Amino acid sequence: MCFFKLHKNPILLVLFSILMVSCVKGVDLDQTEEIALTPDLQVSLLIFDVSGEDFSNPNTGEFQAIISDTVRLEFLDDSYIQNDLSTVEFSFKYTNSFSQAFRNKISFLSEDNGLQHVVNFDILPGKKDNAVETNWIEFIDNDNIDAIKNSIKMVVEIQVLPSPDAFDGELKFESKGLFSFEF
Amino acid sequence: MRSLYFLLILFAGTTSCMGQNKQLLYNVNSLPQSLLNNPGSAVDFDGHIGIPLFSKFHISVGSSGLNLYDIFNDSNPDVNKKVSSAIRRLTRNDYFSLHQQLEILSAGWRLNNGQYLSAGVYQEMDMFAYFPKDPALLVNEGNNDYINVPFDFSDVSFTGEILTVYHLGINKKIDDKLTVGVRGKLYSGIFNVESTNNTGLFTTRDDPNTPNFYRHFAENINVRVNTSGYASLNNTGMTVQQSTADLLKRSFFGGNVGAGIDIGGTYSVRENFRITASVLDIGFVYQQHDVENYLYYGSYATDGIEPLFPDVDPNNNTIPYWDLFEDEVDRNLKDETLHENYTTWRPTKFNAALEFGFEEMYEVCNYRRTYTRRNFNLIGLHLFGVKRPRTMNFALTAYYDRKFSNNFRAKLAYTVDDFSFTNVGLLVSKKINKFNMFLAADNLLGYFNLAKSQNASLQFGLQFIFNKQ
Repeated sequence: MCFFKLHKNPILLVLFSILMVSCVKGVDLDQTEEIALTPDLQVSLLIFDVSGEDFSNPNTGEFQAIISDTVRLEFLDDSYIQNDLSTVEFSFKYTNSFSQAFRNKISFLSEDNGLQHVVNFDILPGKKDNAVETNWIEFIDNDNIDAIKNSIKMVVEIQVLPSPDAFDGELKFESKGLFSFEF
Repeated sequence: MRSLYFLLILFAGTTSCMGQNKQLLYNVNSLPQSLLNNPGSAVDFDGHIGIPLFSKFHISVGSSGLNLYDIFNDSNPDVNKKVSSAIRRLTRNDYFSLHQQLEILSAGWRLNNGQYLSAGVYQEMDMFAYFPKDPALLVNEGNNDYINVPFDFSDVSFTGEILTVYHLGINKKIDDKLTVGVRGKLYSGIFNVESTNNTGLFTTRDDPNTPNFYRHFAENINVRVNTSGYASLNNTGMTVQQSTADLLKRSFFGGNVGAGIDIGGTYSVRENFRITASVLDIGFVYQQHDVENYLYYGSYATDGIEPLFPDVDPNNNTIPYWDLFEDEVDRNLKDETLHENYTTWRPTKFNAALEFGFEEMYEVCNYRRTYTRRNFNLIGLHLFGVKRPRTMNFALTAYYDRKFSNNFRAKLAYTVDDFSFTNVGLLVSKKINKFNMFLAADNLLGYFNLAKSQNASLQFGLQFIFNKQ
């Protein structure tokens, strides 16, 4: 198409001009492959508040030094956890007004009760009128994240450590997880 | 002088490209398509027939706050940082739009009483979405950095429709000063989706009076997505032929129907000073075929799951804490799919313009012509507005329209809108005997690097235009 003909037809001229100057530059569209959503989600997990009565055997009424409970965390089996979870930071807090110390054991179990991860720490003794906090942070990095992905149950077990003081008070538990994803 | 015009066209052609509304066609009375922008346009021809499927094609894409370069510029390799930065910078009132029109049939003729009748069929697609700021932040960053900060689900607002429009318009010159027009439209909906007027807040609070580190609140959630013509797309049992037949049926009033009207007028204050205005698509579509509505609503707050110690109930059964939690959530935050008919309103458009002419033309007097252009040069100011879910979006255009000869005219326009302050557009229209073609492109400066453009628009058309001798 010669320039003379373009001059004769302004529409072709405009089209030709647009085609000649139009371009996409200064961008690297290969970066699309690197785009990832990386939300950090704070999720409340378990709470409880136990008193001396909770350490009684429900059938016999006798004192028992260890109590436990199991909660299924079904969301751990969801696809976004299985495929995209990169790290988790668990935070646990006990607020103890018993004068006894406790031993905490939090276990993460698979469907067939296989132990995947366990968190052990002692809970500081408190006083009836001055509760004491014990904080624990458990970080599961990406190398060990399969332990959480393989889990479906969270078992909390509390053991009273021996003490001559009267067994009276309240033990409050708070927990959360900071789940970091890479979608 | 011809060389000067040539250089002007060359300059405009090479220094531009990008577009938005149809400001380039508005007030171009030598083109039949101006009647679709203003049924009261003072058209100066006596008949037209569009080339089927080619008489007008229009497409425009726009983003009010983002372009390709913002995300993919090669000087900064960290694309995720750029995505995060863009999400933080954009506001809930930034938007993305995609608009397309394809004229299928178009024809018009002047009646013996001087009125101009025009009719046609076109297919239209209009997609519009506000940037869902808070949900995007939540998905991209999570709630960790936003404790006590609510995520607002009213940020979710979008509409989309594909339809066929059948129209018939009449244009009447009342007197030497006033021309008015009206166009009736029947809409045949092919596809529709809308989600507007949503409400709801999601907040994670660290209130010391609550029993856990955080309490999560979902407050007054009311999110509704209406669709028509979508559910059957999931019907995997349909063959391509069946799907095609279904779409054709919907195009010919086999699905959702509606009606609308365009009105407009032209008032000549003086021979070289005109005021024009139009309101387009005052209409609705009643969505009743292949309708599905997706609802999510309710309120709920949680501190987490509370085990009771011991982990068995009085009957020695394990307590299903998670199932109980899910049941409670489901009771309070409901997820439903309904089949309720609904009505959608078309995105009504508004145009108004002032136009001055200079450099008078001297043509042979023809009493049968209802309107004759009297000036080689026209300058004008054009305000365009379109109704969107939250507000009207406006664009202001200043233009220069030059008739170079009986067969060639061009219009250069500068538009300020939500997309750009540097939008220079060009329309050229060339007539070869009775055959006319036009090409219009907006935001021409953006063509130098489309990656930095936030909108682009292109229109072209081919038709036969007749004038009585």
